[in-house]
Amino acid sequence: MPDGIQNFFNYAVIIYSALLVSSYIAMVILAYQQHKRHKTYHYEKNTIDQLRTSPYTPGVSIVAPAYNEEKTIINNVNSLLSLDYPDYEVVIVNDGSKDDTLKLLVETFQLVKVPYAYVEKIKTKPVRGVYKTSSDNAAFKRLTVVDKENGGTKADASNAGVNIVSNKYFVCTDVDCIIDKYALYRVVWPTMTSSRKVIAVSASMRMSNGCDVRKGQMVEPRPPHSLIPLFQDLEYTRSYLVGKQALSAINAMQNVSGGFGFFDTEIVIKAGGYDGDSFAEDMDMVARMIRYMCDSGEDYRVVQIPETCCWTEGPSTIKVLARQRTRWGRGLLQFFIVHRDMVFNKTYRQYGFVTLPYILLFEMLAPLIEFTGYIMLLYLIITGGVNYKTVWLTFFGLYCFAQALTLTIISYDIYTGNSFRKRRSYLWFMLASLLEPFLYHPLNVFYSLRGYVKHIFGAKMVWGNMTRKGFQQQPGTEAEAAQPVPAAEEAEIQEIEE
Amino acid sequence: MEYYTLDGIEYWKYYIMLLYYRFAEMPPVVRVVAIFTTLCIIAIVLLVIGNLHKSLKEERRVRRIQSYDRRFKEKIIELATTQELMDVNTISEELGLPKNFRMKTKTTGSMIPILINVQRNHKAEINRPNWQRILQAFKVPAYFEMMMRSRKTQLRIKALKNISDMDADLKEAVASRYLFSKDKKMMMNARFHVARFGTSYPFKALEEDNDLLFTNEMMVNFHNILQYRHDNNMSMPNLIRWCNRQPVNEELRIFAVNEIRLFKRYDDCPELLAMLKDCRDEQFACALIKALGELEYIPAESEFRHRYAMASFAERQALADALGVINSGNPEVVNYLTYDYESSTDHVSKMKALRVLYNYGRRGRDAFNKLKAEASPANAPLFEHIECNLLDSSKYA
Repeated sequence: MPDGIQNFFNYAVIIYSALLVSSYIAMVILAYQQHKRHKTYHYEKNTIDQLRTSPYTPGVSIVAPAYNEEKTIINNVNSLLSLDYPDYEVVIVNDGSKDDTLKLLVETFQLVKVPYAYVEKIKTKPVRGVYKTSSDNAAFKRLTVVDKENGGTKADASNAGVNIVSNKYFVCTDVDCIIDKYALYRVVWPTMTSSRKVIAVSASMRMSNGCDVRKGQMVEPRPPHSLIPLFQDLEYTRSYLVGKQALSAINAMQNVSGGFGFFDTEIVIKAGGYDGDSFAEDMDMVARMIRYMCDSGEDYRVVQIPETCCWTEGPSTIKVLARQRTRWGRGLLQFFIVHRDMVFNKTYRQYGFVTLPYILLFEMLAPLIEFTGYIMLLYLIITGGVNYKTVWLTFFGLYCFAQALTLTIISYDIYTGNSFRKRRSYLWFMLASLLEPFLYHPLNVFYSLRGYVKHIFGAKMVWGNMTRKGFQQQPGTEAEAAQPVPAAEEAEIQEIEE
Repeated sequence: MEYYTLDGIEYWKYYIMLLYYRFAEMPPVVRVVAIFTTLCIIAIVLLVIGNLHKSLKEERRVRRIQSYDRRFKEKIIELATTQELMDVNTISEELGLPKNFRMKTKTTGSMIPILINVQRNHKAEINRPNWQRILQAFKVPAYFEMMMRSRKTQLRIKALKNISDMDADLKEAVASRYLFSKDKKMMMNARFHVARFGTSYPFKALEEDNDLLFTNEMMVNFHNILQYRHDNNMSMPNLIRWCNRQPVNEELRIFAVNEIRLFKRYDDCPELLAMLKDCRDEQFACALIKALGELEYIPAESEFRHRYAMASFAERQALADALGVINSGNPEVVNYLTYDYESSTDHVSKMKALRVLYNYGRRGRDAFNKLKAEASPANAPLFEHIECNLLDSSKYA
């Protein structure tokens, strides 16, 4: 290999690594300021007390698409109906389930089909019917079930839900997520305090694998005790407590998670709703909302709050992780191709000048650069051109940095009050952090690249179900204990190569 | 060749020199990156240590609160809810506090969350004079005064929030000096405090601030404050004066109109109607229409109908709602709503007009049935939607 190329590669990698480390440092500092500001000015109990009785508290709708969820749907809907908030509704979208999801809902909540004058503000697959309860139970009255033909994507089902919501704001979530009882107060508060229009709010999400869940409510958050969900939990915590907090500080948030996102209904409809063709529909939605706001010259904010409002079940096998990460990789590339015109475009302010270049440099190109690095190292080992001292020094420095970052995350988690009840639970995080560079990170690099390749060669991806084991719910009463525990639900995203 | 065995300080000297020369051999970029990374790691480690130290302190504080909770809570509830009036000394004796109990930051600070919890959970039953004496027994007013003298804005804001949370009777003077503070959060919290507990004219700062940006949070807070003053028979502000304030602050005007509506100030209706006649701003007009509707001010009906021709989408919605709430049985209103339904081009407006007609007495129901009989297939579902009693169409988006 010519020396010129080798030198160029050496320096490029060093500069890239330095930039990456610098960006992390900058984010750690920005995130710290955000956490501190939040801790200084936010008094949760005071906020809840005020919002609970105020006539100015805005209404919120919860949109949750469901597809073949018969084993967990009743528990999950009950959980959604028992949130603490004065004015909210729950819209469950049955996306053409082939099992008894709808039947169970109808029987349990005494639903009847109503002649709802459905207006299709966002195009979706046809809606077969809308159901409301005939029971006198006040909690059930919050529930609306939309039955529609299967659209093949979560985006299509979410859009049908958005078409029917009657409140100014809505939360988009997955029906199998566990939402914190006070989550709605937390996500509404930024819209009340900001002088600018808040178009979306993101809250921290964590893994529910291994947590103590009773009656659909989180009783005790615990770290997952199997490796893949544990790695993911660490990854999520790092992303929410450092990355997103920092980007939120400069109003440059790149994404509001599909698992739990709070949106301004009007802006979502004006931006055209979720894109059914996108593999990263949540990221794409935020980009289009920002595009709409900037094109119309309106001021906006996308906010990240540090509190954990939602727990979701992460993939527990490598097979499922592979499919999830391949789809994410693919979605990222697709997203970037669609929104490339926003990069360094002054119309799109921070999003064009910070968020998109950051995504390009440190999220999209990172797997390519890392993969090239592995190949290069292999080549140099074979040809004997490795300066082992430099390799070990660089590796050791970066490894120490990664561990320091994990310590920072743990300290932020404790500082913001999201901590696990037992401090020793954080040892699991430290374990994951020590192993992550060897076991988890290379896998992610590989799956992301696989996603890029699939997108470039146009492999078709058909959405199906996600493999879920179901929550290990602790029954609340003896009667409930007699009920069968939801069995493992096995179905996966099917990929059809064309 | 002679070999030396280095020990003690010599060994460390040698080791550091070795590191230095190894380091000096490396390319400049590597050196810069290495220095930078090392400094960053040190900074992060310090940050982590600092955070962990804070967390441990917080943990100790929580344990202390728990122990006080076990010791005092039940007794405090008993004393606060009893109807018998007690003086501070008796309360101190009952609580088992020493005769010359001195305020200690840790002790009183740890009592604050417990007292707030008691106030929050037993608000309705609390005997206010006894409650204030309990606070005095724990030297809470002195503690807050000390916190308000603190240099840290965070502590001052926290003190003000706590005072309002536990309804502590503290002089408004402690916050008055921050009414025009540079720190906006501090300024607003001071204003909230003075507005809640002030006796002379507590809303002066609010009225005099021409650049005030009125957020929803302020609306929530000020509404709660007005509710508090209303419930405790304290003086209320002149809300109509807020509407006519110069220079105009749109948000404040809208808030004032909403408060007139929420506190059912029927006497202000003629002035609201006069404002509506001259109003050109859409949001303010909507607030006025809503207020006049909910206050059931029948003379406003003719102005509502007169306004329709030039009304925007949002105003039409508000007009239909207001007419529905007044529900005077006026046949002209039925004609107006029928016209509204027929001339509207969107489903939302049509639904609104139909909903009001459906609930507008016998005449309204007749008009609804007539329109239903003549409805096109595209509009037929709207009628079925309205007639279905399981659907709350008032929230139809």
